[in-house]
Amino acid sequence: MSATTSPAGTAPAHPTRPHPIIRCDRLSKSYGTVRVMENLSLDIAPGEFISLLGPSGSGKTTLLMMIAGFEEPTEGAIWLDGRRIDAVAPFRRNMGMVFQNYALFPHMTVAQNIGFPLKMRGTPRREIAGRVARALEMIELGALADRYPPQLSGGQQQRVALARALVFEPRVVLMDEPLGALDKRLREQMQLDIRDLHRRLGLTVIFVTHDQSEALTMSDRIAVFNKGRIEQIGTPDDIYDRPRTRFVAEFIGETNLLTGRISGGQLRLPDETRLALADGNGAGEGDEVVVSVRPERMRVIAPGTMPEPGANRLEGALRDVVYLGDHLRLQIDAAGQALVVKQPRAGLAPQPGARVALTFDAADTRVITS
Amino acid sequence: MLRLWKLAFGLLAVLFLLVPMFAILPLAFNDSSILTYPMTGVSMRWFSELVEENIWRRAILNSLIIGLSTAVFASVLGTLAALGLRGSTGRLARFGNLIFLMPMVAPIVVLGVGMQLMFTRLGLNNTYLGVIIAHTVISVPFVVISVSAALAGIDPALERASANLGASPRATFVHVTLPLARPGILAGAIFALATSLDEVVLTLFLGGAGQRTLAREMFAQLRENLTPVIAAVSFVFIVGTVCLGAVNVFLRNSRRFRAEGPAE
Amino acid sequence: MSARTRRRLLARGALLSPLVLFLFFFFFVPLFNVMRSAIYDPVIARAFPVLSRSVEGWDRAGPPTPDMQEALIADLRGTTPEVLGDAVRRLNGMSSGFRSLMSKTTRALEAAPDPATRVDLLAVDARWGDPLRWQAIVDNLSPYTDRFLLAAFDLERDSTGAIAAMPPERAANFAYFTRTFVISALVTGLCILIGLPYAMLAASVRGRQRQLLLAAVLIPMWTSILVRASSWFILMQDQGLINGALIGSGLSEAAVPLLFTRTGVVLSMTHMLLPFMVLPVFNVLVAIPGNLMPAAAALGANPLRAFWHVLLPLAARGIVSGSLLVFMTSIGFYILPAILGGPAEQLISSLIAMYSTKAANWPMASALGLILFGITSMLYVVFGRIGTTPARRN
Ligand SMILES: Nc1ncnc2c1ncn2[C@@H]1O[C@H](COP(=O)(O)OP(=O)(O)OP(=O)(O)O)[C@@H](O)[C@H]1O
Ligand SMILES: [Mg+2]
Repeated sequence: MSATTSPAGTAPAHPTRPHPIIRCDRLSKSYGTVRVMENLSLDIAPGEFISLLGPSGSGKTTLLMMIAGFEEPTEGAIWLDGRRIDAVAPFRRNMGMVFQNYALFPHMTVAQNIGFPLKMRGTPRREIAGRVARALEMIELGALADRYPPQLSGGQQQRVALARALVFEPRVVLMDEPLGALDKRLREQMQLDIRDLHRRLGLTVIFVTHDQSEALTMSDRIAVFNKGRIEQIGTPDDIYDRPRTRFVAEFIGETNLLTGRISGGQLRLPDETRLALADGNGAGEGDEVVVSVRPERMRVIAPGTMPEPGANRLEGALRDVVYLGDHLRLQIDAAGQALVVKQPRAGLAPQPGARVALTFDAADTRVITS
Repeated sequence: MLRLWKLAFGLLAVLFLLVPMFAILPLAFNDSSILTYPMTGVSMRWFSELVEENIWRRAILNSLIIGLSTAVFASVLGTLAALGLRGSTGRLARFGNLIFLMPMVAPIVVLGVGMQLMFTRLGLNNTYLGVIIAHTVISVPFVVISVSAALAGIDPALERASANLGASPRATFVHVTLPLARPGILAGAIFALATSLDEVVLTLFLGGAGQRTLAREMFAQLRENLTPVIAAVSFVFIVGTVCLGAVNVFLRNSRRFRAEGPAE
Repeated sequence: MSARTRRRLLARGALLSPLVLFLFFFFFVPLFNVMRSAIYDPVIARAFPVLSRSVEGWDRAGPPTPDMQEALIADLRGTTPEVLGDAVRRLNGMSSGFRSLMSKTTRALEAAPDPATRVDLLAVDARWGDPLRWQAIVDNLSPYTDRFLLAAFDLERDSTGAIAAMPPERAANFAYFTRTFVISALVTGLCILIGLPYAMLAASVRGRQRQLLLAAVLIPMWTSILVRASSWFILMQDQGLINGALIGSGLSEAAVPLLFTRTGVVLSMTHMLLPFMVLPVFNVLVAIPGNLMPAAAALGANPLRAFWHVLLPLAARGIVSGSLLVFMTSIGFYILPAILGGPAEQLISSLIAMYSTKAANWPMASALGLILFGITSMLYVVFGRIGTTPARRN
């Protein structure tokens, strides 16, 4: 109750980003006795493209629905542009939204669908026609203005939904897995189109996806969700190269996780092999840690050859080789761990069972403390 | 062998189901004044009697007054209730089903007795209002069922989308919910109209001479003097049923609500 | 509870209340009236208020006390002709001769308009000396009574107050119950007999054939019951189409009577209710995986055994709910028997209608109605447990 009755005030100043357009402040959400979101805070800068990425049921849609006003936070507050909006009805929030299955009105034509938000805002009819026409032009569907949504293909419906969410020029656009229902080729095309629109119109986009490559290619920042919390938030580079937790390292891309103890600034594996690290990432001497190394950062070399100076070297047996077109995916048992290496084919033709050596730079290691 | 039996059984069963429906229709055009076969000649006299004779004219008028009012009352009450029940689960849903569908199973004569007992006291006996109320009671379940089904078929995301696009709850109802539920509401209204047009027992118990409907008149004529006008009325009823059925099918298949697959 | 939830609940209430109120007043209150009127009959009590206060000392077997006589006279002087008329009609129904006795007595009282004049009832008519006359009045002075419910089963209370069978010449109600159940059971049986193979056939074919078979079931359901009744009437006349075909084909010499016979009523009711059997059974059958019967055959079951051991158990739910629906509907039938049946085919609903519209005996009509409603409700509860929503027009 307090969230809905307290008067709107101004957002507290934010330490890192000057003027968040959206600020989620310690949001929690329970359904009955089930806690599905716990103390979640998130600031979004104007013009930012932020992806919410995470496994199914991790609370991405829940957060989006709270921002759009369809769910009430159990605790916490949401601010839009310095104004508290928890108690504002959804239809007054003025945010565009693209729904997972588009939610196009089946009883309205394409043009009527796109004109709907303008009509609801009392825009004069003449003006509606003009803006709808321009929106249709933008999505290149001018010829289909008088069709009904069920008569459109999935990709066409998707673009209509996009046009409808943008035509009233909202400052914030929410998208809940907007591309989930499209095939791969169309999805990649739409990724580019959306990215392009975002830049051209200076939109703030909150984009829910559980496709990590989509998040990595499109976003300015990614918030990785797990069990109703944000596990890590940062640029795609940050998230990919510097995962802060084991969950993030495993969830984003493929990775090798080496378990051992810190000893003299190095990683000591159970079989006493020592590996050089980029830095300890705050881990102290004797701590048990996990070190992540991406498969594409490892290389297989002929046994006997020495690695470049400063690089780590492990010996092991090649268990399996999978040809992935221009790449090879090699599974290697080394130092008591099952490792995966991805590398270009370039003249390499190892046979399963062969003894191999692999190498990687200390700079490509990432110590994970939690 | 089995196939032959199947065919024979199927044919006989279909005949059993359909022949009794249509056996009377040709007699509507018979020129004999006895309601029986064989036909002696073709004539339209029973149709003209139906529209010219005072009692039949009156009956048609009464049926229309009562049937249309019932359809309006039942669809308003039934639609509101279906909206109220929408999305409910557990106790409320069970309560709704129990209360709202009960009139469908109560023996009609018992209901007639009860209403007569009560309507006498209220002064509703032998009035249009009384008959319309009674017909509304037994036809409202059809509206609740049909509108509930229509509402259950509406994707809740559509209403969220509407709110998100700036439509107030009222505007969402007017522009999204209502149009999408309309086929269900109309189907319910048609059900209600059909129920009322065919109702005899409650009309018999509650209506006076002034409220004799077509169905009531037909019932009386079947028991008293078998005029061939009955065949003409049957013909009109069947044609009416076919028309209402066609309207219903048309509504359900209404082009814009149907996915026709990607059209390039 | 948040403000939003509260608003939503309010909206629900506002939307539901019109129909809830409407049905409360025009469906539940009438049914409640039926219940009340079945056990509450103030007709006698209203006519004899004084008498009801002065029966204390009477021993039932002996002649009436002087108090009672005076009370009766006071009552007869005090009431209106309408109230007395209702009471006399009721009393006359229980023991004949009351009508003439009462009119004689009221005439005698009119002849002596001064209340102070003593009138000797036994002198007016010797029948007032008969304790049975007085019992008839006194036993009905309480407005609450089980008399009508008992009478529905042809029972009554004898002079000692114990429940006993009515004399056969007055026992006319229970026969309607038996008949209703016999005819409904026959109709249900026939519906299973025709409906089960029909549903199996419809489930076993596809495409246009299935559509045709289902349409043949749905079209009658949509058609006016009066049209169907009239059509059956034409078919079953002595000069009708069925007899024409029978005689024409040489199967029969003379017309077989169908109209106003039990055969005709059962046949037409079966026709009317067949859809309510076919549809639930069909719905269950189409949900059965199509490879079960071939599987049974592959395991060595001949078609009959496969039907008995595989299909029938799986279809049982549909058959049971279809049967309940058919039975429940047919025990309430009124119109078809009224049009196509003779006096021996009238069901319980006709009896109720007779008591209420012709005899104006509301309590009796209500008692029968209450029992019919009770039976239907029980069947409905069982039906509801099994599932599938009902759809009915009769
Ligand atoms: N109405 C509800 N009632 C109860 N629990 C709910 C409700 N809606 C969501 N949840 C629960 O909240 C949690 C978060 O759900 P949410 O839909 O936000 O996940 P998501 O991250 O969007 O998942 P997905 O990728 O599958 O869409 C889930 O455990 C879900 O079961
Ligand atoms: Mg989701």
